[in-house]
Amino acid sequence: MEVKTFKSGGAHIPHYKSYTENKPITRMAAPDEVIIPLSQHLGAPCEPLVKVGDKVEVGQKIGDSNEFISAPVHASISGTVTAIEPRPAYTGGEIMSVIIKSDGGPQEFVAKEKRDPEKMSVEELRQAIREAGIVGMGGAAFPTHANISVKKPVEYLVLNGAECEPFLTCDHRQMVERPYELVEGAKILMRCIDSHKCRIGIEENKPDAIQAVSEKARDAAGIEVVPLAVKYPQGNKDQLIEAAAGKFSVRGVRSSDVGCIIRNVGTTIACYDAVASGKPSMERVVTITGPTVPKSGNYIIKIGTRIGHVLKECGVESLDGYKVVLGGPMTGMALTDLEAGVVKGVTGILVLPPDMVQEEVAYSDCVRCGKCVDHCPMLLYPNELSRYAEAEMYDALMEWNIMDCMECGICSYICPAQRPIVHFIRMAKPTIRKMQRAAAGK
Amino acid sequence: MDNQKLVFTPAPHLKDESTVGQAMRDVIIALIPVSLVAVYFFKFYAVFMIAVCMATAVITEWAFRKAKGKKTNLGDYSALLTGLLVALCFPATARWWMGALATFIAVGIAKEMMGGIGWNRFNPALFGRVAIIVIAPIIMLIGTNLLSLSANFGAVDVVTRATPLAMLKQGMQMPSIAKLFVAYPGGAMSEVSPLALLLGAAYLFYRGHIKWHIPVSILATVAVLTLVAGQNPLYHLFTGGIFLGAFFMATDWVTCPITDKGKLIFGVAIGVLIVLFRVVLAPTEGVAFSILIMNAFVPLIEKATRRVSYIDPALRREVAIPGQERATAKG
Repeated sequence: MEVKTFKSGGAHIPHYKSYTENKPITRMAAPDEVIIPLSQHLGAPCEPLVKVGDKVEVGQKIGDSNEFISAPVHASISGTVTAIEPRPAYTGGEIMSVIIKSDGGPQEFVAKEKRDPEKMSVEELRQAIREAGIVGMGGAAFPTHANISVKKPVEYLVLNGAECEPFLTCDHRQMVERPYELVEGAKILMRCIDSHKCRIGIEENKPDAIQAVSEKARDAAGIEVVPLAVKYPQGNKDQLIEAAAGKFSVRGVRSSDVGCIIRNVGTTIACYDAVASGKPSMERVVTITGPTVPKSGNYIIKIGTRIGHVLKECGVESLDGYKVVLGGPMTGMALTDLEAGVVKGVTGILVLPPDMVQEEVAYSDCVRCGKCVDHCPMLLYPNELSRYAEAEMYDALMEWNIMDCMECGICSYICPAQRPIVHFIRMAKPTIRKMQRAAAGK
Repeated sequence: MDNQKLVFTPAPHLKDESTVGQAMRDVIIALIPVSLVAVYFFKFYAVFMIAVCMATAVITEWAFRKAKGKKTNLGDYSALLTGLLVALCFPATARWWMGALATFIAVGIAKEMMGGIGWNRFNPALFGRVAIIVIAPIIMLIGTNLLSLSANFGAVDVVTRATPLAMLKQGMQMPSIAKLFVAYPGGAMSEVSPLALLLGAAYLFYRGHIKWHIPVSILATVAVLTLVAGQNPLYHLFTGGIFLGAFFMATDWVTCPITDKGKLIFGVAIGVLIVLFRVVLAPTEGVAFSILIMNAFVPLIEKATRRVSYIDPALRREVAIPGQERATAKG
């Protein structure tokens, strides 16, 4: 099969996937207590539907919102609601959360009825996905029902199985172990967006996933697996639609208007589960990994399980001088607090030992080596952006298209002067947004 | 679990191993072959000149940074590299204090006073070298007794020859092209062996520090133009400072354009200037002047070759942009 890729920029980054890529998905025992944030997605937060003292069942809806761009949240264990209060969020700060204490039951979700997706109307499919609270599980956490509620047909459904972030293997394992559900999920999403072409992009370093999914997709009309070159950030939506569907993103235009709806493969499987068995988004596959993690692996983890608890279950003892990252190492966030719970958008928990961690890096002025410019997949000038961001020159930042940066992090990774380029960019963006809003308001 | 001592730093959490110091050290390594050939021909004169310039570079950088209250930065090897490059731009038997003065100007004025590494517009080593030529008449005014201040390590039989470039200009009998390419003493220390420079350049390519665009466009332009002028291009390529200039000076990160297209324009323009110097103007330091002149044009080249963002609507005219269609409908 022909291997596709994106043309501009990108970088080869060591992938560190060997720790977990061959470890089958296993279920982690349910914790005694879960902390379920009422907002785990982009969009409006949910209002709680339960109160302190209520008994809840596994999979019961405990929070919802009337806003279109939002997604309900569900109880991941059965038990009693002990508190509804702000709790630490992994993004920093606090977030309103429902705390549930386990009743010691089996804690498995049991489908009340089996449904045949093919006999359901598009409206019913969308409704089932909304009710299940499915959001983008590749990290973006955008509500899926909002994404697939399109008014006119979309040419391509592009499924993201690139998993280009180093260390992560949760999508890889799901493709290997649940290819049937993936292909059936793709059919559901294709109906929702009235598309007849689906491209499933998978990086070549996962031949078993390519084979498993290709086999299941063989008899499915319009669904094709596209092997992708191993190049970061192959899984970013702009690069993915170029490689897998030959489409290009345009500033200010929704991807559906350039002919693509992009979903992560894990999300697609979750959509199938939601439609076929009414299973809500109350647990997910998370890669727990790192060179020193004794029981690294791909685990099904209940939403709301404390990160500290997850690490303890994986045999992690002391974390002195370690860095714990939620998500992949290129774009994920370092944690200061392990009290936060796993949410729908968490792909991995990464434990970096002290020898892979640099606490305070001294950086120097830009020496104009041009490496960030050569490798920037968005064809920006990260060198200029970092200099203007450091000097807080916001007009210049706008002129150099700072908002086109999707923060893949290659520039910082590659900079010989050790400049935290993408960090500078990230820090400057809120001010730019404020300026743009002010300009639009005039 | 103790989570008080978790390390918190912004993404990305991986870093490749490149550093500025490592890159500069690699360039110094790449200059070892040509330095060895120079030492072979010029013995202690070469060793002494290189030592004087490198020492001056280190002292100058230390002093200037100290005076500005900045952290010393010697760990990045850039001062040592500038010192070595300046030394290689001089004949081994040039007066040592000229080398020292050129290095002082290179590191102190062309680099540190411009804001330090990254902010200088002109290649420091070439700036230092050329400054000496420009201020030579002033030195003569100060006193000819300065000129007698020179090192003497005894006679080296190759020092009094005319440089190949001068021989070419005067129509003298030239040494064979093979000899010029492999090793032939004459002129500046860097001019003794294009082969040795090529070896070093190959190492820089291999390490990913330089790209082909600038050197190839300079060499190709010189070859084509000298051919058009009815001369043997190989004599031009293998003499004078072209190899050092094309591979080590014009490719200086700080002072060359950042995009590939810009690099090509830069290289072609340097090639044109070099031939202009050689065929029409004085043959001395034509390469140095050509590169320095084009250094000044880098901001202009950058502006002219600026690429647009990957998602810029200008790249995808077939896609309707919301808001803009309304604007055209109104207009």
